[in-house]
Amino acid sequence: MPDMSVLAGPQQHQFNPYAENGGTILAIAGADFTVVAGDTRQSEGYSIQTRYAPKVFRLTDRAVLAVNGFAADGNMFVKKVKQRLEWYRHAHAKDMPLRAIARLIQTMLYAQRFFPYYVYNILGGIEEDGSGAVYSFDPVGSYEREACRAAGAAQSLVQPFLDNQIYFKNQTAAPGQSHPTHLPLSDVLSIVIDSFTSATERHIEVGDGLEIYIVLAKGRSLQGVEGLRGLREMSSREDGERVFVLQRELKKD
Amino acid sequence: MNSFATKFSPTDADIELRRAQEIAEEEGMSDVMWGSEAGFGNLVNGHAFNIPSVPDPSSFLRLHTDDHADPNCKIKIQHGTTTLAFRFQGGVIVAVDSRATAGSYIASGTVKKVIEINPYLLGTMAGGAADCQYWETYLGIQCRLHELRNKERISVAAASKYLSNLVYGYKGMGLSMGTMICGWDKTGPAVFYVDSDGTRLKGDLFSVGSGSTFAYGVLDQGYRWDLTDAEAQELGRRSIYAAGHRDAFSGNTCNLYHVKEDGWKFIGNYDITKMHYDGPGEVAGAPGGGYGYDVRTQGRFSALAPTVPA
Amino acid sequence: MDHFPTNWGRPNYNTFDAHATYPLHVHPQPSSSADGVQHTQQPIVTGTSVLALKYKDGIMLAADNLASYGSLARFKGVQRLQAVGDYTIIGASGDMADFQYLQYILDNLIISEEINPQDGHKLGPSEVHEYLSQLLYARRSRMNPLWNSVLVGGFRDGQRFLAYVDLLGTTYKASTLATGYGAYIAQPLLRKAVEGKEDTLTEDEARKIMEDCLRVLFYRDARSINQYQIATISAAGASISGSLKLETSWGFAEGIRGYGGQTQ
Repeated sequence: MPDMSVLAGPQQHQFNPYAENGGTILAIAGADFTVVAGDTRQSEGYSIQTRYAPKVFRLTDRAVLAVNGFAADGNMFVKKVKQRLEWYRHAHAKDMPLRAIARLIQTMLYAQRFFPYYVYNILGGIEEDGSGAVYSFDPVGSYEREACRAAGAAQSLVQPFLDNQIYFKNQTAAPGQSHPTHLPLSDVLSIVIDSFTSATERHIEVGDGLEIYIVLAKGRSLQGVEGLRGLREMSSREDGERVFVLQRELKKD
Repeated sequence: MNSFATKFSPTDADIELRRAQEIAEEEGMSDVMWGSEAGFGNLVNGHAFNIPSVPDPSSFLRLHTDDHADPNCKIKIQHGTTTLAFRFQGGVIVAVDSRATAGSYIASGTVKKVIEINPYLLGTMAGGAADCQYWETYLGIQCRLHELRNKERISVAAASKYLSNLVYGYKGMGLSMGTMICGWDKTGPAVFYVDSDGTRLKGDLFSVGSGSTFAYGVLDQGYRWDLTDAEAQELGRRSIYAAGHRDAFSGNTCNLYHVKEDGWKFIGNYDITKMHYDGPGEVAGAPGGGYGYDVRTQGRFSALAPTVPA
Repeated sequence: MDHFPTNWGRPNYNTFDAHATYPLHVHPQPSSSADGVQHTQQPIVTGTSVLALKYKDGIMLAADNLASYGSLARFKGVQRLQAVGDYTIIGASGDMADFQYLQYILDNLIISEEINPQDGHKLGPSEVHEYLSQLLYARRSRMNPLWNSVLVGGFRDGQRFLAYVDLLGTTYKASTLATGYGAYIAQPLLRKAVEGKEDTLTEDEARKIMEDCLRVLFYRDARSINQYQIATISAAGASISGSLKLETSWGFAEGIRGYGGQTQ
């Protein structure tokens, strides 16, 4: 017998300030590059609100941020991070290093500890030592540097695939051989595209379009990147780290 | 501010804008953010956190942060842990697992649950990952300021009390930390347990988290003050293995630290599944072979009798 | 320390469960009805769907003229489309009082932007939309929302603009948009008729699509009415039609079985 006593008091509808807007984001760090991707569908419940709402944003020439969860919080959060980075540029006449952006994001998220941003953040880019890096955050700011991370609606579909393909979990190397520590860019891009086409097949909130940001370390040859279909350069200069966006279609059903 | 009066008072765009700016300031958009305050500008400036404007902010937080009982809650905070620390003749051993769970989903298997506050102080992470990371980083800043002001390192007792007083100020608001502050000071090796209820305990041996009972079982029967370094490290490793094996919310790997007079040292990262089948590998104090008992029962009773060729 | 991980990161249950007598996963749900001031509201006098689409020359918006009081069709001559400045038209569903407040704020905004800087700059649709998003997001963040879903359509410097914003501050852009019931009933029809044809649809064709959608809504949305207005914003500027009457035919209802009181 359900407890009906709770219904005795005045029933009140509390305004719910949060919504869930679906979609999935993903980032993979290589030796001297990082790839950050997200689908472009925005939904609420069973309705697709739009087929193109970007979830991945260029912050600097070496930092890209992906946000997923409640879209209004996500957009507001990105806006505020960009504002803080601009202030940093004005105060210090340089771009904030990646690990500092990661810590900035932690403190900005934690400032909302008691009224959290409902946003899962993944920050990708190039560290000052030239290595590719991915930082993933929970909604209140705990973070960790990782080699790869998926977040959002299809996290539980994509992350196990990444564990297998990037960390080689449950794979045994051929006798006398070992697994590579870092994969080449072309392999990583294939894994990202496969992750999203598969997530689109099996998750209703994923699909429509795919935006893949590629951040290349300073001095790294473009080898393999320049020929890609649907590629657009986003970097502000040619002699530093370089940022590219790759756009692909996903199924729209 | 959001009173009956303001709602019905005459307003125009300028007033609305000014209100928006007030909100921005509440969120810590102050001049202090131009320069560097180590990212802690919102605390340095005196006003701290944005609180939802509802009659009962903590019930608001409870309503929206996750829980098994209500899977519809959207905001999942990472959970689940086994951590332990103990004091012995050779210093302090700190050992933790690396699993973070959100409901029944393993959100991460590579979490660093030992927080390196400074070269002499370690903190452990159980409860809200962000609460532990943030406040123990903040504690690190305060410990450094103490050094600069007093020309000597802060004692473990003082550092842990700073943290416990701090979290006590937020009591009942939903912070969740169960941490051990470990280090070496003038008094020798020291371990303090501090949690978000405001409890602070000095002791020789603690374990915190959902797997703590399993860890205590191994720890208690193997603990002596005069453990050698190798024995002590093995005890820490073996205890985390036991918790990882029996507690669903703990597992993946074990991170092991040893604090001595000259500060802490990272000993190693050990895969818990590997420890079960093969043991921790070539490390001091390990018996050799896996920790799993199936190795020891093999062939010892009829059901597992080795097949004898006819 | 509470060692149960399910309770971590959340405030105590002390008020409800002082002695932890409830089993782990069946904590009583906290009711949020504490005493004191509550800003939390619900819409009272409401407008239903607003529709909008992109066509060859600009943006077209449509909304009916009804403001409901619960299930009562209370006010039948309400205009829910409004020009804001020279380049923008907004359409609102949800609470009509909050919409009137938005109109008041936007009117003042346009006036003060005109008078104060005296620099000849004017607010375009993207600025109006950004302002509305910031305002609605700020209000939701204070737990005192303006209970509306708003479509912002505009045309400036040869560019069409069409975007959505609601009481949560959620925003998005698309070539067809619909709020309220329209999101379920009209949006599929709009997408089928418009997507891929944004640059070729004429105003007459667009108007026909809108009328069809409004008609379907009138048949199925019990909070709608057969009087509506259509607005366009294009190079020619903003124009909002007078109140128009929907042509309807109910002959099809004859064949419907299964929802009403028919016995066979």
